[in-house]
Amino acid sequence: MKTLHSHLEDHFEELELVIGWEIGFEPLRATPAFVRRREDLARLVWNPLCAPNLSVYLPQILKSAEKTEKKVAVCLKGCDTRSLTALIQEGFVDRERLHVIGLPCPGTVDPQALAQARKNRAPVTQVSFQDNLLILHSYEGTEEIPLDSVLARRCRRCRQPNPLLADVVLGDPVPARCDAPSFAHVEAVDSLPLEERRAYWERELDRCLRCYACRNACPLCVCRDRCLAESRTPKWTTQRDSVRDKFLFHMIHALHLAGRCTECGECERVCPVGIPVALFKEKMAQIALDLWDYQAGVDPAATPPLQTFDPSETGI
Amino acid sequence: MRIGVFVCQCGTNIASTVDTGAVAQRALDYPDVVFATDYMYTCSEPGQQEIQKAIAEHRLQGVVVAACSPRMHEATFRRAVEKAGLNRYMFEMANIREHVSWIGQDKGANTLKAMELVRMAVEKLRRNEPLFASEVPINKRVLVIGGGVAGIQAALDCADAGLDVVLVEREQSIGGKMAKLDKTFPTIDCSSCILGPKMVDVAQKENITLHAYSEVEAVSGYIGNFTVKIRKKATYVDWDACTGCGLCMEKCPSKKTVDRFNENLGTTSAIQIPFPQAIPKKARIQKDACRYFATGKCKVCQKICPTNAIHYDMEDREVVEEVGAIIVATGYDLFDPAPYGEYGAGRYPDVITGIQFERILSASGPFGGHVKRPSDGKEPKDIVFVACVGSRDKSVDRPYCSGICCMYIAKQAILARDHLPGVQCYVFYMDIRSPGKNYDEFVRRAIEEYGVQYIRGRVGKIYPRGDRMVVQGADTLLGAQVEVEADLVVLATGVESSRGAKELAEKLRISYDQYGFYMESHPKLRPVETNTAGVYLAGACQGPKDIPASVAQGSAAASKVLALFARDTIATDPQVAGVLESVCIGCGKCLSVCPFGAIQWKTLRDGSRKAEVLETVCQGCGLCNATCPPKAIQLKHFTDDQILAELDALCA
Repeated sequence: MKTLHSHLEDHFEELELVIGWEIGFEPLRATPAFVRRREDLARLVWNPLCAPNLSVYLPQILKSAEKTEKKVAVCLKGCDTRSLTALIQEGFVDRERLHVIGLPCPGTVDPQALAQARKNRAPVTQVSFQDNLLILHSYEGTEEIPLDSVLARRCRRCRQPNPLLADVVLGDPVPARCDAPSFAHVEAVDSLPLEERRAYWERELDRCLRCYACRNACPLCVCRDRCLAESRTPKWTTQRDSVRDKFLFHMIHALHLAGRCTECGECERVCPVGIPVALFKEKMAQIALDLWDYQAGVDPAATPPLQTFDPSETGI
Repeated sequence: MRIGVFVCQCGTNIASTVDTGAVAQRALDYPDVVFATDYMYTCSEPGQQEIQKAIAEHRLQGVVVAACSPRMHEATFRRAVEKAGLNRYMFEMANIREHVSWIGQDKGANTLKAMELVRMAVEKLRRNEPLFASEVPINKRVLVIGGGVAGIQAALDCADAGLDVVLVEREQSIGGKMAKLDKTFPTIDCSSCILGPKMVDVAQKENITLHAYSEVEAVSGYIGNFTVKIRKKATYVDWDACTGCGLCMEKCPSKKTVDRFNENLGTTSAIQIPFPQAIPKKARIQKDACRYFATGKCKVCQKICPTNAIHYDMEDREVVEEVGAIIVATGYDLFDPAPYGEYGAGRYPDVITGIQFERILSASGPFGGHVKRPSDGKEPKDIVFVACVGSRDKSVDRPYCSGICCMYIAKQAILARDHLPGVQCYVFYMDIRSPGKNYDEFVRRAIEEYGVQYIRGRVGKIYPRGDRMVVQGADTLLGAQVEVEADLVVLATGVESSRGAKELAEKLRISYDQYGFYMESHPKLRPVETNTAGVYLAGACQGPKDIPASVAQGSAAASKVLALFARDTIATDPQVAGVLESVCIGCGKCLSVCPFGAIQWKTLRDGSRKAEVLETVCQGCGLCNATCPPKAIQLKHFTDDQILAELDALCA
């Protein structure tokens, strides 16, 4: 099997840009990397810390980049390829200009879960991975933590660890954790009595800072700088720091994603205050599945159900 | 803005359960309201003058009338404020009759609700903007789709009024289902004798362009200016040269071709003119039956044709017609009785459908008008008719009544007795539905003068015994099982929507019901209009109909077109979608959901793509607005901000 580095070395002449991950401000953080020079390829990493869904950058990069013969290479995990598929369906990304490197994914790490799982307190100086184990080195010593115990919520309900769409797949296929769409987390909240559910969301959303990180990380957010949350005409929300306005913003984001969200979970991952905002979108995905038997981002040729007018549609 | 509020008492309709004076008084507290009053009948002439007087006296810039449904009087009041110098869209209506006084008894609660509705109307009006209609010229040509009796009537009426008419017919000849009928109820006049002259008229009118054996491929444009692509299917015969002499049919060696015009009861040649009265009377080669197309040899028709009209290399051709209005008269199809396995249609040659019996009765039919049974050509002694095959039956997804079967059974039973005086006819029926003029008398005649035996009950099973058929059913009046032996069984198959009806509806952007029948704009008050401006309906494409009703609708649709064409231009409704270009992100979702094709791309000078609304095509449905993520596309007169302001007023 070719490694990411050797593959990119071999094809670098055909590429204008490589979007991947590199080690960030600390060894436990992998951040997006944009590589234009061959010597920078060495910076790229691929491991369970590579959480960001890089497809989010594609519409803007392809729009601003000069059209050349060279392609833009992008590293995508299984779930990320669903986002790309949705972007292709909606015409935001020209598939021909991409070189998609598909990466079968063992799951990504939830930093908070990892912090709790650690016994040592000292800053991690080095991380390595072996057989589904995270090996963390610090001056207090070395500790081994099973990956399965520190997975992000989205990865625990993952059913697409392997790329659905790629020019090259690097790595062996990984077994999926779920065979069928799992909405257990949504159903747990749904099953609460109305008043409790309301109290739950009021409690959760009270923490919302309206920083819009969830929106900015969403690969399928199409409005970009024309967001209704900041618009004065029409004026759907105010800038008040009330749960009501926060709730309305999250509802707008969720409704914009109805029948489109590929459940990549980025919104929830980037939330600085840990609100499970992906639950809203998972609810939408559940409804889309029930109503139209539709899963977003699976078939590039499909038309998302709310992006068409079909007078023969019944049952809605 | 200076707003005046007028609360209508509607006699006692509103005033009995709403304190209209209090509503008016309260309105004076709302922002921008400078005048408020209540009045006995605001829609009356003096009521309207009251509004106009107040506009002048109080320099009003907008008017709210709290009265009945806007469907009732919105147009009245818009005209009234326009006469007083305001823009007609600087007017709002609060419905405090249908929505308040008529539905609640509690005067206190009603008054409160009326106040809230007035407040919402005021908040909306504060954000109204003057809107102006634009005028577009009308192309005074009309397209009629379907050349059955409804389409023929519509085409002739339009042509008589001097319009250019384009008539498109899918089959080789116009005439539709009526051309296949022998006689018509309740007068027993010959179908082709009354339809024939109309068909000839179509051929002779110089201002009717007939595209037979053609289909509508695509429709674009809008009321007054449609562009229609029509595919003329290859006939392999040059119709300009063909004289309809029929020599080719005589000499064609492929005589075993199933005769579709005769409902598969006989055979015909591969090159064919479907029936003697066909319009246009031109030959066509049925490609799958033709020996030349199968083997590359034969060419008998080409050799024999006196005008050299045969061209085996002919291909489908596309023509484009520009029209200002479209009449859809695509008719119906008959239910295929195959789902009723217990009746054995298709399995037993002597179990036939009503339309097949019609061909058997016809002098130009497969047996020359002799009533014989298909299996052995014997004259039947007993005929059983089974009503409601594919009508009023949920189990085959046809819960509706086809409306024509009761009558055509009675007619066919009478005709069978006329042809063969010794024949005994039985009819199994659920109910007899004969509500037309002279219809019930006709059914009574069948029963009383022609001795047709009507048995009320459903048929359970039909099976052969010897060379006859046994019809087993219930007689629900006797409360007993009955068994009738018959030589011929006629299944009165019901009406269903024409094949391809849904696809055509999508091209025309008109709606249809779950069975594929086209939806009229209003079931009572706009029966031949569709919700797409400039597209009208005639005949059974809208629902099962008999000949008189189809003809009436053909004329009705024609009169709608003539009313439209009486003007040279058409004013467009300005309550349509509009794009805030600075907000549009060019995602194209509005284009993909628009049912009317009213949105197109526009490229700005910086190369960015924005949505653009074709105001004359837009019907103001608002789907684009609901879909637009940043709400860059707004419905004029119903903008998000207006609706949000109403909600804020309600929740305040």
